[in-house]
Order: sequence, then C-alpha cells, then structure tokens
Amino acid sequence: MGIRLYKEPEMEKPVLIASWPGIGNIGLIAVDTLRGALMAEEFGEIEPWDFFYPKKVIIRNGELRELEFPASKFYFVKTEGADLIFFIGEEQPAEGGKPYAEGEKAYMMANLVLDVAVKFGCQRVYTSGAAVSPIHHTARPRVWAVPNTERLVDELRRYENTVLMSDIEERGGQGSITGLNGLLLGVARRRGMEAICVMGEIPVYLQGLPFPYPKASKSVVEVLTSALGVSVDMEGIATLVEKSEGEIDKLYEVFPPEIKEQIDKLKSVAHAEQAEPGPITDEDKKRILEDIDKFFKKEPGDDQS
Amino acid sequence: MSEKYPCKVHFEPELEGASLVAGWDEDAGRLGARVIDYLNEKLGCKEFAEIDPADFFPLGGVSVDDNVAQFPESKFYCCPGKNLLIFKSNIPRTEWYKFLDSVLYVAERYCHAKELYTVGGMVYLGAHTTPRDLLAIANSPDMKAILNQYDLARDIDYESAPGQRPTLNSFLLWVARRRNIAAASLWVPIPFYLVASKDPRAWKKTLEFLDRRFVLGLDFSDIDADTARQNEKIAHIRMHSPEVDGYIQRLESNQTLAQEEYEKLAMEVEGFLRE
Repeated sequence: MGIRLYKEPEMEKPVLIASWPGIGNIGLIAVDTLRGALMAEEFGEIEPWDFFYPKKVIIRNGELRELEFPASKFYFVKTEGADLIFFIGEEQPAEGGKPYAEGEKAYMMANLVLDVAVKFGCQRVYTSGAAVSPIHHTARPRVWAVPNTERLVDELRRYENTVLMSDIEERGGQGSITGLNGLLLGVARRRGMEAICVMGEIPVYLQGLPFPYPKASKSVVEVLTSALGVSVDMEGIATLVEKSEGEIDKLYEVFPPEIKEQIDKLKSVAHAEQAEPGPITDEDKKRILEDIDKFFKKEPGDDQS
Repeated sequence: MSEKYPCKVHFEPELEGASLVAGWDEDAGRLGARVIDYLNEKLGCKEFAEIDPADFFPLGGVSVDDNVAQFPESKFYCCPGKNLLIFKSNIPRTEWYKFLDSVLYVAERYCHAKELYTVGGMVYLGAHTTPRDLLAIANSPDMKAILNQYDLARDIDYESAPGQRPTLNSFLLWVARRRNIAAASLWVPIPFYLVASKDPRAWKKTLEFLDRRFVLGLDFSDIDADTARQNEKIAHIRMHSPEVDGYIQRLESNQTLAQEEYEKLAMEVEGFLRE
C-alpha cells in the first residue's frame, strides 16, 4: 500500500487542492478544470490495488494485457500566486456498495494524500464538493466554505459569493461533509494543517441525477482562483455549463406541472439570512423532494456532499 | 489493517512445484464449485488451510439457503500423489487484492506453486445440444505456450465495456503475474437455461483438460450418465411443449430469440429441471 512518485519537484509551501467524485461531481470538475487550465504536470499516484476493484480488463489474443484500476493521481504546477499540488481521485475507496468512503480505507487514503503534501512542505489544503441547497437551477450557486480551524473564519468571510455554515438559513453553523472531501479536513486538522472545503450549491431536486452540475463547479473555480491568486481561462467550463443548462431545461420541460410548480417556488429563494422567514416553508421543501423522488422512483437522499 | 495474510494452515502438505486449481462458489451453473467438488471427491483431497473471512466478508449475520444457514468459506485442499492443490471459496466482498494475494501466498509458501488455473462458467445464449468449448486466457507468454499444446479456444480478444467490472478471475491472473506465477483462466459457456440448474457437459469439458494436464486418471462415466439423464429430461419437455421445442430449434439453427422468449425458455426449463 503506497505512494509512487515519478519525480520530486522543487516547491515552496505548496497548496494542496484535492477532490474525489461526489454529488454532481461538482468538486471533481472544479479541481480538474483548474488542473487542466494551469497545465499541472502529473508527478505521482497512490497505488490503487489495495483500495479499489479493477475497472477495466483488456485481453488480446487470449492473453491478459492490462487491468486498469481507478486512478488517484498527483499533479503540480508553479504559478505566480502559489505553488500548487493537485490530487484527483477517480473513485472514493467505498466499501459495501456505499457511494462515499468511510472507515479505515478512507482514513488511510486521506493520510497518504497528506503524506505527499507534507513531504513537499504544504501547510494549506483545499477540498471541494457539493452543497445540496433549496435553490432553483437558474440561480447562481453560492459556495459554502467550511474550515478546519476557527483561525480561517475571517479569511473565508472575505471570499466572494461564499457563505459559512452559520450564514445558511436554519443551519446555525452545523452540518456534515460526507466522504473524503470532508474527511481530509479532519485528518489535516489532526496533523496540524489548515484545510478548507469549498462546496458549490446544487439544487435539491438535481442531487440524485446521474449527470454533473458544472454551474456549481464554476462558482467553486471562481472562489479558488481568487483565493490562490491565479487566473484561468473560464471558456471551457462556461461551455460545460451551457451544455448542462440545456440538458436541465429539457428535463425540466418533461416534469409534470405539479412538480414544476413546486420547483418554481424556489425561484423566489434569495438566500435568506438566518432567522429571516424563508420564501418557501419546510413543508414545501419536503413536498418538492418527495415529488421529485416519486418522479424518478428513488428514495430521498442525504443532503450534503 | 490486520495481519497481511490472514490464513490458518492446519498442516503443511508435501508438494513441490504444485499447480493450483481455483474456483468460486458463485458463477454461471456453479461450474467452478462443481468442478472443485468433483476433484476433491474423486482424488480424495484433504483440507489443509483456510483464509479467515473477517477481513473479506460482511459478517453482520448469516444468509440462509435451502433452509440452512450459510457462512463464507475459503478453503485449500491438497491431493495426495497428484502435486495438485485446490482452492474453493465464496467471492470476497471487499479487500479483493489482499484476499487474492493471500490465496497465492499460501500456494507459494506451503506448496511452492508454479502454476494456477481458475475454472468458471459464463452465460451462453445458445442451445444445450451445442458442443461445449473451453476458452482459455493466459497471464503470460509462458502460460500461452503451455495452453497451445491443448485443444482450447485461446485467441480471445476482449475489452470490458465502460461500467462493466472485470471478473475476479481476471484480477487473480493479474495478481499471479505480479508474483511471477504462470496462470490461466478457463471458461466454459453454459446455455442460459441451464445456468440456474447444472450443466454436466460443461464440467466434463473443464475436467477433461485438467485430467490431461495433470494426468489425473479420472473416469467420467458418472458425468456421462448425468448428462444423459438431463438430455432425456429436456427431450421430454420438448416433446410436451411445442413452444419450448420451437425456441430450442431456433437456437440450434443459430437464430436469436426475443428477450421475452429467452426468459420464457429459461423459466420453463429451469422449472422442469428443478422438479
């Protein structure tokens, strides 16, 4: 069980930006967009076989040629703003059919990722995921930010289009972040490293659908580029957003009128402050979820990345 | 993580450069398990080791099958005088690499194994009267050279489709290659309407190869008798159900059936063979 580094680049206090798949693949798309735009170079990986079942086999002329596993790779780039290490996990090492990692394997992977970060002098970690929110898909998704130390709260308040858990109606600063995008914050804290999870908002009724939500990823990229002092070409992700909005509009059109009516109530949600009466009631939220779930014949899901 | 190889060895068999034959309890027609059980019985094999299930199976209770509580088993057997060891197991649900590596650790450490053969069945959308093929996939040119000496279908090209995971046998071949063990997976296509019951012709096809490869001196008259009984039963269904006969005739003429026809044929034959 280990790490394989192809090279050991010189870096000065690099920042680690890590992500694994999750709801709408919001974090993964955001981090991969940054990695691609900054042309970060692959320099290592976590050996996969202890964590994952293979994903593909190739047999040629009766001989097993290749067995491919989900990748867990490290990339680096030196920018004007900061030296950056990216970690992108193609799958979470989940067990027993669960969608997110937990327990021993998750803890091991989190530590391996941080081992590499520490080796290169990293002191700050960002992870990214999704925040399931009662918003309409025409709204600009905000970014929920969760730090692993109180010291970072004031810094996060200055991020544009970003809210803390205490700013979210009814949450009062409470919540949870499932899977490795959350666990890495805790493990980093245990190892004395600063870490922040930035989560793009996804409309509550899109959380269980099997397609990505790049509109929230775009919000995350905007926050990360500003925080890291880097600039990237946003054309690629803007194209993804446009395509995804077309698909969501098509889906919206086939919803029955009663579901549309419920969803449209969310148009009036203007990110209410805590303690302010919200434009839709809890009953409304519950009904929307139930109607959507009935429409897709699925059970109501969890409400966080 | 617990110990690297969670195995219990009851005694050390006297084997040198042995070959390992491995099969799983769950595959099409339970071919792997039936072939292993047959070898164990005919060769008088003795259990000598097992893998502890705790790391590899969810042990939150037991499943019940045919009124009896089941529990995952992963056992090794040695065959006196044949330089052969046999492994039969339920399919692990987690920690697959550790499990497969443990299988090969026992084979190498206690039996100095040099070769591995996995046996299994795959679903085939054809008629039961079609001769059975034995397909073989090697993990190295060395094993390919060994297989070339036998009458096997061994020029397979295959790439798993997106979202379709490789078989555990492919994973085992890959782990064997990491340990420099020459390995092959052997597959017999089993007619879909025999998958839920049994296909003695498929067992025989696999056993014939193993018999030749390891000079086991097996007598297949019991399997031949089983095949004859099954053929009679299916002939009886065909005689009394023109619909079933029509479906099988079309398969015998290399025609395909509609999805509901495949399902109906499987249901009719399985139901009758179960009685």
